[in-house]
Amino acid sequence: MTQVFLAGVLGVLFSVGTYLVLRRDVVRVVWGITIISQSANVYLVTMGGFDGLGPILSGHGGGGPPPTDPIVQALVLTAIVIGFGTTALALVLTYRVYEEHGTIDMYELGGNR
Amino acid sequence: MSTLVIAPLLVALVTAILTLLVRPSDLLQRTVSLLGGVAYLGAVAVLFEAVVLPLGSESDILVYQVSDWAAPFGITLVADGLSVFMLALAGLVSLVALVYSIASISAFGQRLSYHPLYHFMMVGVTGSFLTGDIFNLFVWFEVMLMSSYILVLFYSGREHTRAALNYVVLNLIGSAVMLVAIGGLYSTTGTLNMADLARRLADPAAYNIALLPVLGLSAVLFSVFALKAGLAPFQFWVPAAYRAAPAPVTAMLAGVVKKVGVYAIIRLYFTIFAAASLDLSFLGISGDSVLGFFGPVMFAMAAVSIVFGGLGAVGRDDVDGILAYSSISQVGFIVLPLAVAATAPSEAVTVLGVTAAIVYAFNHGLAKSLLFLASGTIQDVVGSDRLSDLGGLANRAPVLAAAFFLGALTLIGVPPISGFFGKFLVFQAAAEALAAGATGSALALAVALAGAILTIAYYTRAWNQVFWGRTTEMVDATLPARWTLGSATPPMADGGDDGLERLELTTQVTAAVVLALAAVGFGIGFEAVFEAANAAAHAALDTNAYVEAVLHGPGVGMEAGAGTGGGH
Repeated sequence: MTQVFLAGVLGVLFSVGTYLVLRRDVVRVVWGITIISQSANVYLVTMGGFDGLGPILSGHGGGGPPPTDPIVQALVLTAIVIGFGTTALALVLTYRVYEEHGTIDMYELGGNR
Repeated sequence: MSTLVIAPLLVALVTAILTLLVRPSDLLQRTVSLLGGVAYLGAVAVLFEAVVLPLGSESDILVYQVSDWAAPFGITLVADGLSVFMLALAGLVSLVALVYSIASISAFGQRLSYHPLYHFMMVGVTGSFLTGDIFNLFVWFEVMLMSSYILVLFYSGREHTRAALNYVVLNLIGSAVMLVAIGGLYSTTGTLNMADLARRLADPAAYNIALLPVLGLSAVLFSVFALKAGLAPFQFWVPAAYRAAPAPVTAMLAGVVKKVGVYAIIRLYFTIFAAASLDLSFLGISGDSVLGFFGPVMFAMAAVSIVFGGLGAVGRDDVDGILAYSSISQVGFIVLPLAVAATAPSEAVTVLGVTAAIVYAFNHGLAKSLLFLASGTIQDVVGSDRLSDLGGLANRAPVLAAAFFLGALTLIGVPPISGFFGKFLVFQAAAEALAAGATGSALALAVALAGAILTIAYYTRAWNQVFWGRTTEMVDATLPARWTLGSATPPMADGGDDGLERLELTTQVTAAVVLALAAVGFGIGFEAVFEAANAAAHAALDTNAYVEAVLHGPGVGMEAGAGTGGGH
């Protein structure tokens, strides 16, 4: 059930992100990229499955169901940290684009005024 | 022995950190940076010696398990014939481009961030070439890209911010897509280690793997690598980004960073995914392996790149633009023999195709970096790279002209320069595939021929406009007399006195000349390049040896010793 729900959420997130990336406003494009990369993270966690217990607690004292795959969570942590850096860079870049061009409209940046 | 594998990575990382620490002193920073570049080349040479030499013998595979965590659980670094060949190219080009940078980037720029970024980019490149883990590949890609974003943005003017915006947005989306593909592969196959992946794909029933999703996910992953390599239809970022970045950075982007995408395609599709045998019979595509699917895909992308890039280059009126579009076209030439290899009917042709791709990548790495460096010097001296502003430079700057000429000849493919053999091998691979019964290769031959003619057309045009013809006013104003390496300094384009000195311009030209001589030298001694590339192709195609070395080889869990804590 969780998986079906998350699949729906992922679909919505990816489409929202794609919609924003296709906007003319650079800030929205950056939001769009951020949402897409965060959806990729959610997707990664989903790929690990939700069947088991928390990886840290299970196994203490023996027995019990097997833990959820902890690898994907390690991967997501890495991806989140990288995402921090790239988002910050993209935002600073947006500001620099505004300083240089006086606009953050993609259409105008492309030379169409 | 296996600890050698991590040496280039550590050298680049230590250099990057040291250049951050010694920032207060310009001289010290440049010295450290330069020594780091030399040490990197040295580390690569030692690794090359251990893996490939003596030429002609079977190349070794050295494996290093980071922190001594045995594969497939830890992060594995693998140096085989293919990895070290690409590393050798990176070491060579990066050192020359670094020397050129010191002579061309403003003192403020160098002090600010140039050297650490440059070396961090090398860390990413090295990691990508060495890693044996697909998620780790993603991390190294990010390390490389983060630095390259800022290096593309380095001058931070109008055009630069706009180009960097395209470059950053496209690559961030690429990263998200790569993450999705990796997550999907992990979920379907249950592993991230490349060797383990190949082992599982070879026997899908035992590991309960559905191969069709793997095929789809590998296709998603392919689009990311194509984006990095600048293959059509993912080439749109190339011209703007190459124009925006400083000349030595463009040389690195075109010569080395692009090759990371090419390397990833060869490594993942020919070594790893080729292990899966899959009965494909949809969409008119048929074949018994995953490569049977990627062959036509690669062919289509390569063909469009060659033609689109070639036509684009013919139509451009600035040197950097011609070189950038040429770069799109040349990557097509690298992937074309891969497409032939993927669908080749016999093992020998497959090896030949991959060898051709590797040799071509090597030549392109040398020649395109050389041309971008030469173009950068023209801009520094004359102040423009528009064809209409230039003319008669062969008379005024003969040494620079000679270097540019050799670079262009390398890409056109004139013997005895190494480029000739690259192009020859591409044609030979297609012709042998045709002779062996792959009728589609006739199309590959036709495309290669058209691309070769376009290459001649646009380089001839660039040469005629820039180096021959009437000396334009702009050239007259900036280079009133003949300028050879020995003679007096040419006056500066903007008349300022703060920037270029004689030594710096001489260094720039010397860097280009070194690459030109390398192209000639490797052409005359092509036997050695071919042997090394052939060893690389064999290493790339020998999945069993790769799996064996990583999962069961000597050194697994023993020799790795005091590992360095890498990781997530």
